[in-house]
Amino acid sequence: MQSYFKFEFLHFFFNKKNIAVYVILLFFSCYYAMVVAPSYDPIEKVDKLEMEARYLTREDFLNSVNTERMHPSTAYAVMTYPEWNEYEKGRLDALEEHDFKKYAEATSKWYTYSDGMIYKGGDFLFYHPRYYTYGNNYAREDGHFAYLSAASRYEGYAEGDYALSIDVFEERTALQTWQRLLQSYLPFILIVSCILLSADIVLKDRRNPTLLRGFPMSPWRRLLVKGGVALFGSILAFIPLAAGLLIIGARNGFGSLDLPVPIYSHVDKSFSLISLSEFMLQNMALIILWFVLIISLLLLTSILIRNEFANLFIGFAVVIGEFTYYTRGIGFIREVQWYPTSYIQVGQVISGYRNYVYESNALTLGNGATVLSACVCIILLTVFIISNLPKFKQL
Amino acid sequence: MIELKEIGVRFSGRDVLKDISVVFKPGEIIGLVAPNGTGKSTLMNVMMNYVSPQTGQVIFNNGLGYTSKKNEVKIHQLISMMPDQSDLYNYLSGREHLKIYSSMWNSNKQLIDQTIAALDMGSYINKKTGTYSLGMRQRLCFAMQIVSDTQMMLMDEVMNGLDPTQVEIISRILEKKKSEGKTIIVASHLLENLEKYADRIFFFKNGELELVSDLSPGFEQKELTTIRIEELPDAVSKLLCKEFPELDIQTLPNQVTLINVQGATSQQLTRVVAYLQEHSVTEFNLGKVSLLDLYSMYYQKA
Amino acid sequence: MLPFLRGVCMRNVLKTVLMIEKSNKKNIAACIIIAVFVFGLISFITTEEKGNLIKERTGDYQSVSSALYKFQIEDASENGDGSDLYKNLVRQQRVISTQRMAARVDRPALYLETSLELADLRDAAFKMDGFQDVALYLPTKTENQLQRVYYQELVNEGKSVSQNPLSFYQFLGYLFGIIGAGWFIFVSIYSCGILIEEFQHTSLIKGYPISFGKYVLAKCSSAMLMVGIFILLLFICSLPLIYFNGLGDSSYPVAVYSGSIEVFTTIKFIGVSVLYMLLIALFAILLSIILNMLLKNMYLTMFVQLLLYISPYLFPGMMAFVPWNPINYLNFSRIFNGETLDLATPAALYMSQGLITIGVCIVIMLFIIKAFFTAGKLKRV
Repeated sequence: MQSYFKFEFLHFFFNKKNIAVYVILLFFSCYYAMVVAPSYDPIEKVDKLEMEARYLTREDFLNSVNTERMHPSTAYAVMTYPEWNEYEKGRLDALEEHDFKKYAEATSKWYTYSDGMIYKGGDFLFYHPRYYTYGNNYAREDGHFAYLSAASRYEGYAEGDYALSIDVFEERTALQTWQRLLQSYLPFILIVSCILLSADIVLKDRRNPTLLRGFPMSPWRRLLVKGGVALFGSILAFIPLAAGLLIIGARNGFGSLDLPVPIYSHVDKSFSLISLSEFMLQNMALIILWFVLIISLLLLTSILIRNEFANLFIGFAVVIGEFTYYTRGIGFIREVQWYPTSYIQVGQVISGYRNYVYESNALTLGNGATVLSACVCIILLTVFIISNLPKFKQL
Repeated sequence: MIELKEIGVRFSGRDVLKDISVVFKPGEIIGLVAPNGTGKSTLMNVMMNYVSPQTGQVIFNNGLGYTSKKNEVKIHQLISMMPDQSDLYNYLSGREHLKIYSSMWNSNKQLIDQTIAALDMGSYINKKTGTYSLGMRQRLCFAMQIVSDTQMMLMDEVMNGLDPTQVEIISRILEKKKSEGKTIIVASHLLENLEKYADRIFFFKNGELELVSDLSPGFEQKELTTIRIEELPDAVSKLLCKEFPELDIQTLPNQVTLINVQGATSQQLTRVVAYLQEHSVTEFNLGKVSLLDLYSMYYQKA
Repeated sequence: MLPFLRGVCMRNVLKTVLMIEKSNKKNIAACIIIAVFVFGLISFITTEEKGNLIKERTGDYQSVSSALYKFQIEDASENGDGSDLYKNLVRQQRVISTQRMAARVDRPALYLETSLELADLRDAAFKMDGFQDVALYLPTKTENQLQRVYYQELVNEGKSVSQNPLSFYQFLGYLFGIIGAGWFIFVSIYSCGILIEEFQHTSLIKGYPISFGKYVLAKCSSAMLMVGIFILLLFICSLPLIYFNGLGDSSYPVAVYSGSIEVFTTIKFIGVSVLYMLLIALFAILLSIILNMLLKNMYLTMFVQLLLYISPYLFPGMMAFVPWNPINYLNFSRIFNGETLDLATPAALYMSQGLITIGVCIVIMLFIIKAFFTAGKLKRV
């Protein structure tokens, strides 16, 4: 078994296609680090001018407003602006003094207060204007989530003992970039790489069938070894991606694994904090589970359909499966948590954002692990049964 | 007709083919015999233009040569080479393979069924080739070439993996094709079988072709030339040499002793046979040198 | 061979290639993917409520409101202290409200009238000072122009603004409007092994009494035949919509950028799209053949093609710099909606230009295949 593993392993890494996958990942990760990451422009950034403008206009307003016979909205403003501005002032002062801890504290309060005002405030108060891009019908919801998330995050910064910096606040450090990417397209890239790496793991043997048919090993165990090699190879895909991380780290710092990451809970509609390391571990666990699922699925299609294109098409169908049923709030009506494809955006599932947009409280790490493992079990069982059929021929 | 003119091929400093000049005529079966890796396949590849020779040229009917792509197509209409077993389309049936060859060479469609019947492939011809055994695949490859019905046919190891009955059937088909006026070039290791139907047999050594009848002048005649003794004890052999110094006695690397009796009188023959019996050598035969012996003589010499 | 026999021969090759192709599971897999795509799109339109005017206008309203939020104004009236842009935006907001009401109480004429008014207002806004600050909240110039000619055409032709997006022609219009983004990728993946598969059978192919160029051409034709079937399948899978939602209007306008902003009828739009799809498919197949011969690996072929496809996204500046680069046109949906005009370095890429460049490239690739590739040196991989 061990020697067969070694044999498959060598095959895997001398496969031109697999080398190309790693090279392309390396290219993308460097491209991202050099071109995309520097132009990252978060909406919730540390923008002194913006704060000042907001603060001064409101101060002006408060100083000049005629408090007799006010319009109700004016009265509302007169009521709310003083506290709002107090936090804003706190942020500005902290920045002036380079006291990041104090800044974090004030910012957290500012976000909590702002959200409280805006979310209930009806049609005349707004979140940061950049949420309201043309065509975004859910700007309010996006803003709400982002403000609460930021409030929770800054609260974490204020309470803990971290080496704070503007880069940390704007989530530009290497580890935080990684975390942000996990919540956007990194899971897709990893899973697609996994598909590409394992699409031919079984069918490549057709090129030299007589060589392999006689190996003293049952087809089932052989398939298992192949799956193992593919899994190992997929996990190694992290290495070329890490190159980009090093570049970002050298420029913006690496950040710390203890930094807080806000996690949304749809049940009590609020955020709690976990450490970045915990967030990463949970992500890795789910991504690796995805690898296992994809690989076992491809093993199954390999012995059922025996065509590499079918493998590719089916793999990609799983990746884009969620788009066919996803709409905001659909989780309220449909039990989306039982579809494995709902967990494809791994980082967003862990951070609770998927729960938020689905309006479901069941898309959790635990449920994801259960659903995906159940799928893996069913698929592997099918593979086991098929590969043990008396008529089964692997090639 | 194929004419090879001073064909020379060198692979990494080694002469694989050295100044080969020979003509193959219609209605002729040519046997090529040589150990593995001596250049038989290269020669066939040169004839198909899969390998371009460094010197010399291959000329077909009417002076047609591989001078342009257009000519190559014209030549491939005339000559075919048996496909490799491993190159069959596993998801197509045997009949579909035959149809492909028939339509690519635009040959008579009836040949398909005739060949299937002749090779007794009816029971499996409609199944996918992925399910075929080695022998079945080999027969299919042969059938494909027969169906292509080209004027010249190159067959590399045509009898591989076939049982004696099949070898017999294929030999008969080859003879039939010869009588139709085709030029067939066969490389084979089944020497006894080759001996039966080949008109000319060539040995291949150091990049050169040697006609077997040149090596052993009596080879192609039907006369008594040799006494063959398998496993003659050394002592007896020495005694024999002393007793009959006028005869050419030779022991081959394959332990066969040949006594050349070409032109000997019947008296002499009787004496030799009696002498052998005297020394309790009972297993010998009178006849001519077999191809196997020549092969041994030619290739196994030290 | 006699010249008159050549035709027969090519037909025979095609027959052979089709026989090989017909039992290839790849084709079936691709057909299933197409069908799933069409049905998925139908369900997507249903759940997303595409064509729900009220919902779309509400989004517009919010965007303009947040643009207004950028300004600190004391007197918002017509002769107040607001800038021209501010007043323009306020008017836009008012027009959108009317538009929303018109949609709600179902008064199509009023809706069209206000739509045109809005487009005019936006057109004016582009030239005003400070537009860059609010650009994010408004459609781009090209988007606005496209909308403008679309509404104008509706007025001219007296057509209704609300169409069932799931009627046959309307659905096809939507489908062909987005398929350009993925078509090249689909055909690349489909064709990336076109010759590699043949490399497994070299001893058969090498000896065929036909030039390799012709054989490749036959492979190419059979692949194009499959592409034709794929396109046909798009129509066939949409046929049930006729039963459920009717045919729709084949002459309904679709605004496109073709060098200038103009309107096509839905049927013409579909026609041009199909033409583009056929050319792009041929381009992808020939590219696959060349890359197969060079790289001898199906996945490497696929990767190179995908990298080519995304190169305009990675280096957008290249588009304006080399406008005749065929790769710019592989996502033809992007060309049709004039997206490249709104880039940081605008590139005026238009339809006919794309057809010509892709066409020229096809001819060049055919020439390369004919001139440089021979079967003799084929080796198993």
